Parts: sequence; C-alpha cells; structure tokens
Amino acid sequence: MPAQAIQYLDVRWLPPPEPFEHIMDALNSLPDTDALQVLIHREPFPLYDVLRDGGFVWQVTAFENGNFEILISRAT
Amino acid sequence: MNIASLSTDQAPPISVPLRFFAVAPLFLVLAALMLAMSDGNPFAAAQTPALLAATHCITLGFMAMVMMGATQQILPVVIGSPLPASRWVAWLTSVPLGAGALSLCGGFMSGNARLFNLAWPLLGVAFLVFIIAAMLSLWRATAKNVTKTAILLSICALAAAVTLGILLARGFATGTALDYAALSVAHITMALGGWVMLLIVGVSYQVVPMFQITPAYPKWLSAVLAPALFAILLLNLALLLTGAEQTWIAAAGISFWLLAVCFALVTLKLQSQRRRKVADATLNFFRLGMVSLLLAALLWLVALLLPAFDMPLRLLSAIAFIAGFAMSLIQGMLYKIVPFLVWFHLFRGGVNAVKVGIPNMKEVIPERLMWWHLRLHGGTLLVALLAPWWNPAAWLAALGLLLQGILLGYAVFTGIAVYRRTLRRIELLAV
Repeated sequence: MPAQAIQYLDVRWLPPPEPFEHIMDALNSLPDTDALQVLIHREPFPLYDVLRDGGFVWQVTAFENGNFEILISRAT
Repeated sequence: MNIASLSTDQAPPISVPLRFFAVAPLFLVLAALMLAMSDGNPFAAAQTPALLAATHCITLGFMAMVMMGATQQILPVVIGSPLPASRWVAWLTSVPLGAGALSLCGGFMSGNARLFNLAWPLLGVAFLVFIIAAMLSLWRATAKNVTKTAILLSICALAAAVTLGILLARGFATGTALDYAALSVAHITMALGGWVMLLIVGVSYQVVPMFQITPAYPKWLSAVLAPALFAILLLNLALLLTGAEQTWIAAAGISFWLLAVCFALVTLKLQSQRRRKVADATLNFFRLGMVSLLLAALLWLVALLLPAFDMPLRLLSAIAFIAGFAMSLIQGMLYKIVPFLVWFHLFRGGVNAVKVGIPNMKEVIPERLMWWHLRLHGGTLLVALLAPWWNPAAWLAALGLLLQGILLGYAVFTGIAVYRRTLRRIELLAV
C-alpha cells in the first residue's frame, strides 16, 4: 500500500547520535500509513539494522553533494 | 570513521572503558594533594619531588588511565578489530596501572627505593599487557586509515617511553650510574611527544569532523603528520642517547614543534568552519587544548632563543602541554565519550529500551556542569602558568586540580548512575 502522506525530517549536520535520536522519535509517532523522508549528511548504516528489526522498509538516494535521502515506511 | 563498523558486536562491554574513566579523576585529586604537601613552592624547579609525583599522578593515573580505556573502545570502532580478551585486558591494565602510579608517586614524594622497585614491575605489566593487546588488534585489522597508522606509532612510542621510564625508576631504586638527564628528556619526549601527541592526532582525525561537524583534515596533513612526527622522535631519541651536539637535538625539537603548530592551526581552522555554530563546552575544551599546544610550542622555541631563561620556559612549556593541551582534550573527549557510551549501550537493550525511553545523550551529564568545569580548568591552567614565580598561584593550581578531580568524578558517576537506572527499568520490563 503506498504511503498516504510523507513527513519530512532534516537531520543534516547534527552530531551523532542526534540524527538517530530524532529519527527514532519521528518513527515512534509516525502513523502506520505515512512515510518518513529523512535528509542526512552521511549514510546512517547502524540505522538500517534498527529499521529492519522494527518492521520498516526504506529507500536510499545518494546526492552528489554528499547528502543522503532515506524514505522510510512500514513493511506491508 | 566508517560508522558501519560501530557495531554492537565489536564494542567491548561498557564496564571495560568506564572502569578506567571512573578511577582516573581520583588521580587528579591525589596530584593536587601531592602539590599541597610540598615543602615550599613545588613549581620553583622542574624536578621538585612534589612536582615529579604530581606530574606522574596526572600522566599515569589520569592521562594514561583514560587513554588506555578509550583506546580499548576506539580500536574496535575505528579499525573494526576488538582487543582480545577485553575484560582480562581491562583488569590487567587498570589495576597494575593504578597501583603502579600510586607506588611511583609515593617513591617520588618519599625517595623510598622500595616504592620505586614496586612501581616499575607493576607499570611494566600494565603497559606490556596493553601494548600486546593493542598490537594484536592492529595486526588483525584489515582496515587501513590514517588513524590506524597514528595509533600504531603512538603505541610504539609508548613502548619506548615505558622502557626508558623503567630504566630510570630502577636506576633511582638501585642508585645505578646512568645519564639521568639525557634519559629523562628521552623518556618525556617519547611519552608526551609520541604516545600522547600521536594518539590525540589519530583520534582527532575522527572526532573533530564527526562530532564537531567540520570538514575532514586535509590529506596533505593527515597522510604525513603522524609518520613525520614519529620519524623526528626516533631521530631525537638517537641523538639524545648517543650524546649528539645540542644543535642537532635543537633542530629535531624545532621540527617537532613546527609540525605540532601545523596540527593545532589546521584543527582550529577546521573548527572555525564547522557547520553548526552552536556553543558546546566540549568543543571549547578542544579549542583551549589547541591554543595551549601553540603556547607550549612558542615557550619551547623562545627557550632556545633565551638560554638564561631555559628552565622556567621549558617548565612552562611542559605545563602548557600537559595541563593545557593534553588535559583539555582528554577531559573534553570524556564529556563526549561517557554520554555516548551510556546512550549506545542502553540502545543495545533493543525493543524494551525504546519502550522505557533511552535518555537523550545530552541528558546523561548536565551541560552546565561541563561549562563550570571548562571555566575551572581554564583558571587552573592560568594560575599554573604563573606558579613558578608566584607562590600563592601554586596553591591555587593545586586547589583547581582538586576541584577538577571532584567535578569530573561526579560527572562520570552521574553518567554511570543514569546507565544503571535505565538498565534496571529495561530489565524489569523484560521480566
């Protein structure tokens, strides 16, 4: 089922683990049908294990300026 | 840093680094007491018993204690290779290091040969275990980066510094005729210029860009700095031990300090380019450290130009290096590492940890405590630099050190208490 709405979260240039903390907070309050689009300045490898364990799926887009966009939604 | 390697499997148990960090502040308190127990101004000469005892209390009991604990945490993260038998290594390094530091300082204060004879085997065991474990970890690592090279060279320098230190301590105990002046300079150079400087350089390559959100260190610097510093230190060691002319030794010294200045200036420039201009106590500890490194270099170079003031200027350079550069960076990093470890290890609690609510990293140690410590540390450094000429400054420096030890100890135990409290709630939920 495609996400009904996308919530945006910009965690660029926050020191670790603040990006992770903000993403977790946003996912905890994310409605089941929505998706979360995260903009971050480095690829958050440790996040992926947590997303997998939490029943989420995600898509990663790498930009030329070094930033990454992670689109996260619940696995159906 | 390849954050992918920051895996829960690689990291040692939290008790491994925390035991080092919990004990270390106690040695700042002891160093302060040793300065306070001195007959007269302990800073009046470079080698008063109280100053030697307090210096080793700081360099072994505080600095080496934190550096060895931090290295056991850093190696798995940065090069993806944990230390073997991490709990055993932690016990066999922290306990003999603490006991050895106490004995050595007691030896300096009392001149008792038995204490020196007790100290050097204890310190020998602590450092030997650490060096072997760290070398095994480095040898097994497949990752290749500038931090790995700097840490490897730092540990080689530590091996040389410890060998020279043991030689000196045994010499004091047995009254053996040695060239104490040359050996002492060689020992100090390898310990501070090698082990301390190179480890800070290697760790800075990771910590500054990642936690302070700055551009990376330029490749022209990071690729050559640690090997160049190490090569100069080896040359300096050879010159000192073969009784070479002072001109050559001075040339090696100038080369070392120019590279150190380069490192400090580049770090300060990177910090001025950070992406988030938010006030941060740990960043300011780091900046104070870099400015102190510049001051240490300046004082050492001026001492060459003014031979009549050689002793006080070199003493001030050593104070700027140890209390200003090394202590600022170590304390600043502790205020980052302890909350990060608490957060990271609680996060390992999985789903239950998320349900209980892991404290935000900024909630682990109150920020205002870090700012108070920074001001106290800056004040202590200032009075310590005045201490050789102004007796009341020596007592104020001791008082500052005492308060810093108490404050840092309180901060570390606050972090441990937050960890234990939250862990108990996670475990209760799991029952």
